[in-house]
Amino acid sequence: MTGPLPFPARDLLEVRGLQKLYPVSRRGMFRRHRIGEIRAVDDISFSVARGQTLGLVGESGCGKSTTARAILHLIDASGGEVRLGGQDLLQTLRGPDRKAELAMRRRVQYVFQDPYLSLNPRWTIAQTLSEPLRVHDLLPRPAWRDRVIELLDLVGLEPHHADRYPHEFSGGQRQRVGIARALAVDPELLILDEPVSSLDVSVRAQILNLLARLQAELGLTYLFISHDLSSVRFLSTRVAVMYLGKIVEIADVDRLFEAPRHPYSRALLSAIPVPDPDRPSARNTLLGEIPSAMNMPAACRFHTRCPRASAVCKAHEPPMEPGPQGSALACHHPLEPPAP
Amino acid sequence: MLVTQFIIRRLVFSIFLLFGVSVIVFALVNAVGNPIEILLAERPGISQQAIDQMTAYYGLDQPATTRYLMWAGNLLQGDFGTSIIYNQPVWQMMTSWGLETLKIQVPGILIALALATAMAVTAAMRQYSRVDFGVMASAMLGQSLPGFFVGILLILIFSYWLGIFPSYGAYSMRSPLWGSHLLDALWHMVLPVAMLTFFNTAALTLLMRSNLVDILRHDFVTAARASGLPERRIIYGHALRNALIPVLTYLSLLFGLMLGTAPVTETVFTWPGVGYLYINAIQQLDYPVILGVTMAIAVMLVVVTLLTDIAYVLIDPRIRLD
Repeated sequence: MTGPLPFPARDLLEVRGLQKLYPVSRRGMFRRHRIGEIRAVDDISFSVARGQTLGLVGESGCGKSTTARAILHLIDASGGEVRLGGQDLLQTLRGPDRKAELAMRRRVQYVFQDPYLSLNPRWTIAQTLSEPLRVHDLLPRPAWRDRVIELLDLVGLEPHHADRYPHEFSGGQRQRVGIARALAVDPELLILDEPVSSLDVSVRAQILNLLARLQAELGLTYLFISHDLSSVRFLSTRVAVMYLGKIVEIADVDRLFEAPRHPYSRALLSAIPVPDPDRPSARNTLLGEIPSAMNMPAACRFHTRCPRASAVCKAHEPPMEPGPQGSALACHHPLEPPAP
Repeated sequence: MLVTQFIIRRLVFSIFLLFGVSVIVFALVNAVGNPIEILLAERPGISQQAIDQMTAYYGLDQPATTRYLMWAGNLLQGDFGTSIIYNQPVWQMMTSWGLETLKIQVPGILIALALATAMAVTAAMRQYSRVDFGVMASAMLGQSLPGFFVGILLILIFSYWLGIFPSYGAYSMRSPLWGSHLLDALWHMVLPVAMLTFFNTAALTLLMRSNLVDILRHDFVTAARASGLPERRIIYGHALRNALIPVLTYLSLLFGLMLGTAPVTETVFTWPGVGYLYINAIQQLDYPVILGVTMAIAVMLVVVTLLTDIAYVLIDPRIRLD
């Protein structure tokens, strides 16, 4: 880039007020009655700067994967806006303009959690990796082979792997193929939906290293979804903590891990095991069960389990308030900020 | 394991299988009694001498083991024997009547496959919608109704009430319809093929839809969507091929048991096929025909199963021959 930008640099991915509601209905005598809705993702906003990684963490069922799939319009969002480099992503993917849709899809790619389910068992690796090239009409057919081998090399696989079938690979190797497939169209943003959760620990580290290397080499931007906090800390620049469909805290990774301000963030982080028998664990165990998504607590959703909850938490929902260095927090009684 | 090695092994196994079938069938037919005596018992005028003469002519005075060895020896040389009712070579009868069976069975399966694919894809793409519900309900109904009932219903509506299609036979007795033998034959085929299609479509649709729905849930389908593949291409390029294995099994059964299910259809429509021949042969204890058709059914099943196993390997790279 030569010279300063003519406009203030924007974040690559901007999500504003994203919502996904599932209606719940009961079959009556003659017709179905709508009896409520599940707010799987409820009005969440965040952004990811180019070349950075935002970690999205939270318990199972808090809406992480729904967020990821709604961003890519794999499920239809109920409300909200997603912008990629300033362009309206959801509108383009919904819209009738197929060329624009494909152009947008090329910029954002998805890596799946389970590498055993995400590759077509009847296709060779070369077929799987060529498909994006065919769909997007990127290269002439004779050039596909070279590109496939290039992609395999990029993710640390050998050229002779191209003609094998998924069942001949280990979980880690399959996940490499999944990543190579996402990279086939030269995307800017990768949505990594628990990419290491189904791998064992030694392989997990290799895949995380691969992701870090690819980010540095290709200037990729990641939205990294995980419930594994150690992986999040390793890969992320910033972290957003989700609880029951809402983001409760966003902060730089070191700040969040060292001094979480939301009581839920602290409880989540204290669940990381510390490999030191002499250090007493400051476990901050939450009491009670996760509330049912059908029967969400009013006002602050965390008040049923929060050690700091007071009357105001049951009456008013805490707004998301911006803090220093792009952090944000939604809590009436936050923990003390770290000493400057 | 090499494909040829696999085929050879299967063929050797099949020889033992067919040998077993032949012994059992021969023993069963033999247990019913002497067909000459049974046939001639209703005609009191025939002398014992004539009965003995015929019994000797057909070799029925020999012990069962000798007769089995003779029959099996002839069979190995391609001689299926001679029908005692029609006095024609069994092989010749089976081929000419068999052609009539194929004429309705093969279209019945192929049309059903095309219809079932279209219906299953439509239903699976809109799972739990009204369309899906309608397809499922009609397929369920189709599978619950017995085939002969549907056949009789078709005859009642289209032959008896409307008089559009003939209710029996493969050809017109007198002059062919519209002066064309081809049109005449097609015109007679409509109702039997409709009955077979109806029956086959129901089962195939249910099977294919449930497989498709299952496969459309997989992440690799979502991956295809995420890469921007249109829904139609996802179904035909990714999902259908994966959903095909159980369907292939069912199809092979349909083809393999074609001769076994033919009697019902061919009795309902008085269709001059192998099934009709088989039923008549059983009623009249025409044992060379019974033995011949039964062996043909067994051979067909063996061949179709072998072909299916080879097809599995071609469709699904994960299936190994050993």
